[in-house]
Amino acid sequence: MSQLDILLIVSRVCFGAFVPLCFIAVCVWMERRGAAFFQDRSGPNRANICGFRAGGLVQNLADAVKLITKEDIIPGHLKHKFYFVLAPCIVFCIAIASFAAIPFADVMKIGGKEYIMQTIPTDLGILWFLALAGFGVYGIILAGWSSHNKYGVLGGLRAAAQVISYEIPMGLAIVSALIVYGTVNLTGIAQFQGQLLFGFIPMWGVVLQPLGAIIFIVAAFAEANRTPFDLAEGESELVAGFHVEYSSMKFGMFFMGEYVAMFTNAAIIVTLYFGGFQIPWLATETLVAYARPLTVLMMLAVPACGWIFCLWMSKNNRSHYAHESDYRDREVAVYTKIVWGIVAAIDIMLFVYLIAASGGDADRVLVMFLQVFTFLIKTTMMCFVYVWVRWTLPRFRYDQLQRLGWQTLLPLSLLNIFITSAVVVALS
Amino acid sequence: MSGKVKIMERRGKDLYERVYLIEVFKGMATTFGHFLRNFLDNSKLLVRHYPEQKPEITARWRGRHRLTKHEDGSMKCVACFMCQTNCPAKCIMIEAGERTDGRTEKMPVRFDIDLLECIYCGYCVEACPMDAIRMDTGIFSVTGNERESFVMKLEDLLATPGAFSEEEYKKGGA
Amino acid sequence: MFADGLFMLFAVLAVLGAAGLVLFRHPMNGAMSFVITLISLAGLYALLSAKLIFALQLIVYAGAIMSLIVFIIMFLNIQPEDLPKEEGKLLNILGALIIVAPIGYFLVKIVNRLPNATTELLGNNFGGVKPVGLLLFKDWLVPFEIVSILLLVSLMGALLLAGKKKEVSK
Repeated sequence: MSQLDILLIVSRVCFGAFVPLCFIAVCVWMERRGAAFFQDRSGPNRANICGFRAGGLVQNLADAVKLITKEDIIPGHLKHKFYFVLAPCIVFCIAIASFAAIPFADVMKIGGKEYIMQTIPTDLGILWFLALAGFGVYGIILAGWSSHNKYGVLGGLRAAAQVISYEIPMGLAIVSALIVYGTVNLTGIAQFQGQLLFGFIPMWGVVLQPLGAIIFIVAAFAEANRTPFDLAEGESELVAGFHVEYSSMKFGMFFMGEYVAMFTNAAIIVTLYFGGFQIPWLATETLVAYARPLTVLMMLAVPACGWIFCLWMSKNNRSHYAHESDYRDREVAVYTKIVWGIVAAIDIMLFVYLIAASGGDADRVLVMFLQVFTFLIKTTMMCFVYVWVRWTLPRFRYDQLQRLGWQTLLPLSLLNIFITSAVVVALS
Repeated sequence: MSGKVKIMERRGKDLYERVYLIEVFKGMATTFGHFLRNFLDNSKLLVRHYPEQKPEITARWRGRHRLTKHEDGSMKCVACFMCQTNCPAKCIMIEAGERTDGRTEKMPVRFDIDLLECIYCGYCVEACPMDAIRMDTGIFSVTGNERESFVMKLEDLLATPGAFSEEEYKKGGA
Repeated sequence: MFADGLFMLFAVLAVLGAAGLVLFRHPMNGAMSFVITLISLAGLYALLSAKLIFALQLIVYAGAIMSLIVFIIMFLNIQPEDLPKEEGKLLNILGALIIVAPIGYFLVKIVNRLPNATTELLGNNFGGVKPVGLLLFKDWLVPFEIVSILLLVSLMGALLLAGKKKEVSK
């Protein structure tokens, strides 16, 4: 093992472990600000550190402090305290681990060696995700059951029944996608989607498998227990469902696990149906071949983005009431400096690359970074869709949920498999 | 019932609505319109920036209590215990003493209102024969660091000024 | 070496889980220890380079079937007083051990006569989705289909049994 090997392994594992954790903050923030903007409110904008609110991100910090410093209660009447403590750990760890098989960049070829850019370089791919999705149910069941609470048991029953029954249409939708891609390896799936259909449409899963994509997305929403399928924690009837007895950081684990699951599901949806790390119309080899002109383009695009962001910020980060000295003005001034600092740093790095290192392996590394960026952007947009749906649709009733799963999605996904396999056989 | 009856058409039966996805997308378009408008220009948000922008309080609003005074500065309260008797939350505690300014025989030497128990129903104001207790201070935010600070003493109640003029208060219907 | 250590770990866990399934009184404890057995079996499959079987073991047995069983245990909400009294438990176990002992002896003998094998991972995509799929659908197509029909029959039987009960209750 060379030093490069070790460095890449360490960075891959760090990516797989820390990016989902960082995206908890991003998702929670997006949920709150998004919810506020969908409902014509302004969302969290007061919590600050020395007057800097980072657009409301500081609120998450305050939340974390609150959750950590609260009293950690284990109710005295519980008979199975071990399962009570185990349940949130299962939910959280499973959610993080299921991110491990998702590729965040194309296979990187450096020095004649190939490096698979997944946290665990396995070709099990989607099977890994399915296996772990099944395990997530244990956390919910154990939490609801060991809480020794009627609401908890009811919430756990609902959640478990929902997850178990939506795993079937989800698996069948994946089957039809696998028929198209011809592999279970997620890197292979993402590479497949770099091709062009008829020479001009990116061959994304959503183009080839529109029905499968819809079924999978609906099932993924149900798997993550998100609205409109969040009746496991329907506040009006079950208080909080399976985590009603949990407090402090044990609740925090459920909370974070939910958002990590949302992020992971979004990543899987992006990888299966929205091209994964692929930039539309620019496959990996094209990117490597045109690395220099692309770099010049980026050196222009980054300041443009920074400028637009600063304009937007100076327009919107103002106090909309009579005031003497607006603390937001100071904030905007500092943020503008930071943004331009970042823009300058990126531009200098790109310039150094262009002068000193372009051509050869450095191109591959640049393309890798571009693809990671694309993957994260796409996943963030998918997370936004989660938020968007949550604040648009009302909750399903339990019988409606099961009817949708068994009577609509299941036959549709079976039909989708027949049609897909017929078309694939006819074309090959 | 003489009211006009309007029979609502039951939705969700025809195929167009049972496909469900089209309606979902229509709803999502509506919400996204709101999101985009607020994202691009947040001055149109339907919010009051609370600590900086206070809400407008009308004269009928039942805020924190105060005890009123005559023009010469002596208190109107005669310690008749009407408010204490009427209080459904039992949050008023009066101790009567001899009056020293010669208006009547009695005046309170102790007049405590426990704001943690008060339900702001306004019965004390309605019961008062002397118009001595009012809830027109316009104070709606009562905060404190310990429980004792929520018990309003006689001096605090007398010291709090009313937020409205006499005409406004009368017009308010009291 | 590392693989040997893993093998020992999974083997011990599998046996302990199975013992727990038999010995624990509360059904939830039994089910959870059986989950441990299933997961360690999956680990053993992975050590044998059987990637697909590893994934299927996790998805089907540990993920789906056991979660259904745990779900039903939760659904029934079994209290300690509902459990049957097991007074002669120790005697029963002892008797079972004596009966099973000859079979165990044969097993030990068989295992001893097995050729030596290493736990090295086999390359060339051995045990991946494609080779196993080709094997199943080309060389073993008829047995595979017969097994699937068998499953279908048992599914229908279960449906029939469940449906009949409902009519009687009416």
